[in-house]
Amino acid sequence: MTTYPNMATIEAGYELPVMHKRAEEAELFLYSAASFNPHRIHYDKAYANYEGHQDIVVHGPLQGSWLTQFITDWAGPRARLLSVQWQNRASAFVGEELSFFGSVTSVDQANGSVALDIYEQKEDGSVLMPAKATVKLEQI
Amino acid sequence: MSSSLIPPESLARVGEILAGPVTVRIDRREAQRYAYAVGDLNPIYFDDAAAKAAGYRTLTIPPLFITHALVPPEPASKLRPDGLYENSTSVVLKVARMMFGGEEWDFLEPVCVEDEITGTTRLLDLDQKEGKKGPFVRLVRETTFTNQNEQVVARSRQIGIAR
Repeated sequence: MTTYPNMATIEAGYELPVMHKRAEEAELFLYSAASFNPHRIHYDKAYANYEGHQDIVVHGPLQGSWLTQFITDWAGPRARLLSVQWQNRASAFVGEELSFFGSVTSVDQANGSVALDIYEQKEDGSVLMPAKATVKLEQI
Repeated sequence: MSSSLIPPESLARVGEILAGPVTVRIDRREAQRYAYAVGDLNPIYFDDAAAKAAGYRTLTIPPLFITHALVPPEPASKLRPDGLYENSTSVVLKVARMMFGGEEWDFLEPVCVEDEITGTTRLLDLDQKEGKKGPFVRLVRETTFTNQNEQVVARSRQIGIAR
């Protein structure tokens, strides 16, 4: 049985397990379809180039949903995501390996929640998406 | 001069409703297609028993799916050359392009499949700023999501950067 973080033992400074994502054309197409997004930069390389992108662009909201998955996979099904915020600093492109890193910055025992600092980065180390979140953890 | 990129008629729209209210029933299959497309195979989206064991009434949904669930169906004849739909509610600005700056979300109540969710989007903020690469406009759209019991379940603020 998987164990998840809980309020009794969590401490500031704890580092979340790293999550890696890579989306190829088929995955990006499926996300366009599932999110009802017909924007051409997500499936037409020639058009993406025309708009100044080096390749097909990974959707911003897909990276947003990867971010929530990064948190909820770690926190477990009984935890509750309270808030999340992120900045899109640069574009991610098809086939790139993207990694999510995060750590607990503070623990609020009264509220039963923790604050997280998270960032998504490319293989070259550049940060695409700095983020913050709060999540209510299991009470034990 | 301080708002040279924002026409006065656009500035006057701050506070205005840009979209909605629109109400949809959260569809299990649409939510699961979204979860699969993200690669988020959390059992609370797929297995009713797992969702209940985790404290939900029934299957819940990937948190950000709620915004996509509200996208209205539109005909292909309304597509622009860039693939986006013509949108009469977009805010007119004197800029070349609009980029996603980021999002902020508050999740206040759980959302489960079959919930009736109403979304209303307002122009929360519009202002011109001076950046390293010259002036830019920061545009914030806030969407409030309520459920069938008139509880606010979530709020999102989408930040657009235009220059």
